[in-house]
Amino acid sequence: MTRSKSFRWNDGSVATLLCIGVTAFTATKGLANDTLRTAQLHGFLSQALVITDDNDFFGPSSTGAGSAEYTELGLNASLRPYPNVLLAAQVLSRRAGGEGSDAKPTLDYGVVDYQLTSSHDRTLGVQAGRFKNPFGLYNQTRDMAFTRPSILLPQSIYFDRTRSIGLAADGIGVYAEQRVPAGTLRFRSGIGQPQTGSDLEEQLFWGAQASISAAGPSVIAQLLFESDSGKFVAALSAADVNLDIDFSGQPADFGFQPWILSLQYNEDLWSVTGEYALRNQHLHGSAPRTFDATGESWYLQYERRLTPEWSWLLRYDSLVNDRQDRSGRQYERSGLGPGYSQFADDITTGVQWMPTANLMLAAEYHYIDGTGWLPTRDNANPWEASKHWNMLLLQLSLRF
Amino acid sequence: MHPSMSRQAIPALLKRTLRYALGHLLVWSMCVSQAQAQTSDDEIRVVAHPDVALQSMSRDTTRAIFAMRQRTWPDGRAIQVFVLPNRDPAHARFAKEQLNVYPHQLQLAWDRMVFSGMGQAPHRVRSLTEMHDKIATTPGALGYLERAYLDDAIQVISVE
Repeated sequence: MTRSKSFRWNDGSVATLLCIGVTAFTATKGLANDTLRTAQLHGFLSQALVITDDNDFFGPSSTGAGSAEYTELGLNASLRPYPNVLLAAQVLSRRAGGEGSDAKPTLDYGVVDYQLTSSHDRTLGVQAGRFKNPFGLYNQTRDMAFTRPSILLPQSIYFDRTRSIGLAADGIGVYAEQRVPAGTLRFRSGIGQPQTGSDLEEQLFWGAQASISAAGPSVIAQLLFESDSGKFVAALSAADVNLDIDFSGQPADFGFQPWILSLQYNEDLWSVTGEYALRNQHLHGSAPRTFDATGESWYLQYERRLTPEWSWLLRYDSLVNDRQDRSGRQYERSGLGPGYSQFADDITTGVQWMPTANLMLAAEYHYIDGTGWLPTRDNANPWEASKHWNMLLLQLSLRF
Repeated sequence: MHPSMSRQAIPALLKRTLRYALGHLLVWSMCVSQAQAQTSDDEIRVVAHPDVALQSMSRDTTRAIFAMRQRTWPDGRAIQVFVLPNRDPAHARFAKEQLNVYPHQLQLAWDRMVFSGMGQAPHRVRSLTEMHDKIATTPGALGYLERAYLDDAIQVISVE
């Protein structure tokens, strides 16, 4: 059971469930050769160099030669013990600044997937375990560089500094696919315990001492339409995440309800993608400060495939933490921090080069106005962060 | 005399004309069919293991299977999908002609399945010869071949 070994870093339930699943299948099938023949192993490795002029991003990027503390390593295995059953799990080691111990491998997903129906016009399946949240166009594979259009995903929607809140959940998910005259409709939904990483404790409440736990199951759903040739994609995603917060004995409730509208148009040599999100966040109870605000995020992105090896990207990405306080003036007046920490406008351009199918080199430049998604762990004092800053990223990625 | 002679002469003339025309038509049609055979030798056809109980599939179904979203045949058995490398010209022609998608779209669809726990990747083969052998020997196999590689060991599936 080498599988259970690789899960020891995670607390129990999902790993236990998977082990029971694997044991049950292997016991009934005696791990027949047929099952072993369906085994697949895949993985990826990315290493980036982040160079900034003023603020730090993912490590000490503004000093010396930059920060090499952005590393992603993933390894997954899958098996099909029966034609309609899939067992799949991925272990992820990721460091994005912070402590070296952050790279400790975690279970990214681990599911038993059972397809109840799979016909020429309809598919219906369930997943039990830790499943990736279907959120926007990129969330489910956000750590795998080859599925990203750029080194950093648009931070207004795929914020890395509080990433664990929407990453994956432990519970039950369902997915359905229905062919319709002009294309395919896909529905995915899940209910489960959300993840609460140390990033939330550091990031969500202005550095106030807080311990965070899931208040109950979170719910997520996505309806996606893809036209026949994949030229046109449209999706609507929504989630409801509720957390219990303990501010040194003072209980409070934190809620996060985002909606995302996604649109994409693909041609042979170019794609245009846009996503728009409204994010409601509230904190009620005995907190140092309560709030109820709706943030707004959107980006517009153009990708150009210059040759089969080279592609180029141009993107404008905008984040506002509170639509009632777009410039952050009220926030600054309340003495909570600089107004420019409440928004970020990011102009990005980048290139990707794939000399072979398994190797990618990427470079991109960001010009950013505002520190709305700048990680606090890299910049302890928000007043010391510069409003206007520049960032250059270089990344090497491998896959198998 | 005259009328009867002319009655015999006309059919003879007609026969000769017909024979001449038919002969030319035959030669011409042979040339044309040969030319067609030359241009269609590299035409891509979707093929399956002979045990697959389907002669035709819709383009939507074919696309869903090659995108790895549909895992089983109608009889419940597992589908084994085989593909050539992304940059193989035959793969690009297959993707465009039979599925109406581009190779980079297929690769992204596979990555999104494999790295999210939603599915598996197709089996890779290095050449059309290997594709032929795998399709012929793997129950439930689905792939594609140039016309010149078709024989009795595999089954052609028409995409409608």
